[in-house]
Amino acid sequence: MERISTQNAVEMGPPLPPAPSPTLPRKGGGGDRLLPARFALARGIAFYGCWLLLADPRLPVTTELLADLAVGVPAAVAATWSSLHLLPPTVGRMRYGALARLIWRLLSQSVVSGVDVARRALSPRLSLQPGYLTYPTRLPPGPGRAVFGALTSLMPGTLPVGTDAAGRLIYHCLDVTQPVAESLAIDEMLLLRVLGEDDGHR
Amino acid sequence: MDIADFLLAAAVFVLATVALGLTRILRGPSDVDRMMAAQLLGTGGVAALLLLGVATDMNAITDLALVLALLAAFASVALVADARRPEPEPVPDDAHPEGKTRT
Amino acid sequence: MTLALTLFTLIAISLGAIFFLAGTVGLLRFPDTLTRLHALTKADNLGLGLIVLGLLPQVDWPVGGLKLIAVWLVVLLAGATVGQLMAKAARSDAWNGSTDLEPPR
Repeated sequence: MERISTQNAVEMGPPLPPAPSPTLPRKGGGGDRLLPARFALARGIAFYGCWLLLADPRLPVTTELLADLAVGVPAAVAATWSSLHLLPPTVGRMRYGALARLIWRLLSQSVVSGVDVARRALSPRLSLQPGYLTYPTRLPPGPGRAVFGALTSLMPGTLPVGTDAAGRLIYHCLDVTQPVAESLAIDEMLLLRVLGEDDGHR
Repeated sequence: MDIADFLLAAAVFVLATVALGLTRILRGPSDVDRMMAAQLLGTGGVAALLLLGVATDMNAITDLALVLALLAAFASVALVADARRPEPEPVPDDAHPEGKTRT
Repeated sequence: MTLALTLFTLIAISLGAIFFLAGTVGLLRFPDTLTRLHALTKADNLGLGLIVLGLLPQVDWPVGGLKLIAVWLVVLLAGATVGQLMAKAARSDAWNGSTDLEPPR
């Protein structure tokens, strides 16, 4: 969500060199110092939007309504504070075209996935060929890999169960005769494109 | 048949499948299996509550569904966090004061 | 409420209910913990998605509809995350009992 706001960060200067830490670089031009505030504001507005959705305030505008709306502000501030601590903002470009493709693939593949599981569960003889597969991913450990894990756990027949000593992801597959690794490679490529191939964030 | 009746029937059907799934709690065999049945109760409960909320036109039920979804997720995370804890409790340093000086 | 929308609701919710049934059957029939986890995460998420899709024409827009979608997103995100965590917990159980693969870290 916060990467939406980094669109503005990009125009401020040349592409940032690979940062040693995933948090924002503090030094640099005057614009950089404004960045954390901008991230915080963007997240705060998003959280307040969520709060509005839950509270569902009704017009017309009265003093009570304004008082009700004010109650959401501390909640949004608290949510922003914890989100900035748990997931510090990173600088990177989100590619929206690639994101749309990834979301489309996620939705279509989760249908395939559900139908696949349902077919196997309801067929008179269980057609299962369970097994493990290790997948050497190009995504570095961190948020990117966590997203990949969550994404692929919704894809047909794959469930990430951990990482081996060599840093490869281990998948449990419902049916090892399916082209699982090829499918994972497509998901990985789509995700890398969303994050920007050079992967400015880590 | 009214659409609300259909939604209520669907809610009852989903709850029935969840109840069937809960026998996994009895059969186990592992804690993760039992937790999966609880997770099923979370997802199925959310579906049933959403159906119920629209059928009876009570918006507050949707909020209940949201709370149930969050609680189910936290319950599973709590189980996993507990399972991950290393078996032997780490001995605090002050328990063996001589251990440090000996080296 | 046009007939087409009502029909859409009926079909989507019926399909969603069937996926819930399939998830339960998988949870009861599949042979080991990890395969059962597949059944749970995938079939139920699709079932809930279809039920939410079917309910969308029946609620007030935008607040009611967006709230339904928000609930679905929360469950989807939680399911994907928790599924991974539970797979890790189940895996360490399974590895303790077998010599199939060396236990990864």
